[in-house]
Amino acid sequence: MGSAETAGTADEALLLRVGAGDEGAFRELFARYTAVSHALAFRLVRQAQVAEEIVQEAFLAVWRTPERYDPARGSVRSWLMGTVHHRAVDAVRREQAQRRRADQAAASAPRVAEDPIDDVVSALDLPRERRLVQKALAGLPDEQRDVIQRMYFDGMSQSQIAERTGLPLGTVKSRTLLAMRRLRSHLGEVSP
Amino acid sequence: MTLDHALIDELLAVRSLGGLDGDDAHLLERELAAHGDCDECRRLEAEHAEVAGMLALSLDPRPVDEGIADRIVAQEQRPERRPERTATAPADELSVRRDARLGRWQAAFGVAAAVALVLAFVLATRPSGGVHVPDTIVAFEGAPGELAMAYTPGERGALVWGAGLPDPGGGMVYELWMIEDGNPVRGACLAPTEGAVATYLDADLSSAELMAVTVESTDCPSAPTTDPVFTAALA
Repeated sequence: MGSAETAGTADEALLLRVGAGDEGAFRELFARYTAVSHALAFRLVRQAQVAEEIVQEAFLAVWRTPERYDPARGSVRSWLMGTVHHRAVDAVRREQAQRRRADQAAASAPRVAEDPIDDVVSALDLPRERRLVQKALAGLPDEQRDVIQRMYFDGMSQSQIAERTGLPLGTVKSRTLLAMRRLRSHLGEVSP
Repeated sequence: MTLDHALIDELLAVRSLGGLDGDDAHLLERELAAHGDCDECRRLEAEHAEVAGMLALSLDPRPVDEGIADRIVAQEQRPERRPERTATAPADELSVRRDARLGRWQAAFGVAAAVALVLAFVLATRPSGGVHVPDTIVAFEGAPGELAMAYTPGERGALVWGAGLPDPGGGMVYELWMIEDGNPVRGACLAPTEGAVATYLDADLSSAELMAVTVESTDCPSAPTTDPVFTAALA
């Protein structure tokens, strides 16, 4: 947990410096999280250009208004990922038809090489964290993992999942909560 | 409404993953408002946000154009270091679109004006427990109907209520925004019942210069997609 704690503390320190107009701090935060942010945005929107725009807009907001971060509501990392996720989900829901077209293109596109920037992010221990998160996801019961995948990684709403799977809405919500609790218990050591 | 946290816990879990929609989005707002200044609610929200944020780490990182950081820093100088925006159009398309949006919001800023209303409404509408009595009330200007907000400058939270509001349309709601340095920050979604709304906005208003309301889908997007129909300047 030590390295994660250090990363979380360092993130907050960086954000404070960003608030004071420190370009170097912004670039360091950018280097830490853009690759993960880009991966998340791309996973949702499936279009490289749109994903990059989402990342740019999210970090633009960080640069312009870092004071929006509220430590009481979670770590800098969760704030950043939440910002990117919200923007990507909005894009998905606005561009449903466009996404259907892009899905076909993504299916035929060459797979991106794994871990292309491990050297850049190694200081943040992301490869280890990635393995832990993947393991935690893999450890979920299938029905819980399916809900998480659809909701977080595919940008589907609870109602869309209920409609698509035929599950009662209440079941979708209860599975979500159970999955989040289980993930939390497995990922405690990854928390900043 | 419930005074335990089971329902809030479940709805916050769904919201943290971006999946909350429909009536449940409004139900969560009402429950949070009923709980007022609630440490347990904040703890649950932070806990779910943390787990959700970690999920992204499971993905293989995708490098981005390193020039993005340069463009952000070069083109978007922070206000305290360059108070006046440059008149030169930004080179990239994203900035052009953003400036166009900002222009509409900044135009709206000039239209709004603060108007004092009756404080008695606040005592009648504020949620129980932990909420200070606001000392400032502003009226929104814009579409037909009446919309007002009570708050205390420098303190967190505000009460928002309205009556006689037009139906936003099928599958649409009103969304409240705080405008900070010309940028809209999501506040709350308002679904009128027979033209009336009432909600507690659990947000920091200290940096907001203006409040604005747009008509949005029930997904309550994190950025406005339409121009404001109501605005109110803050003290």
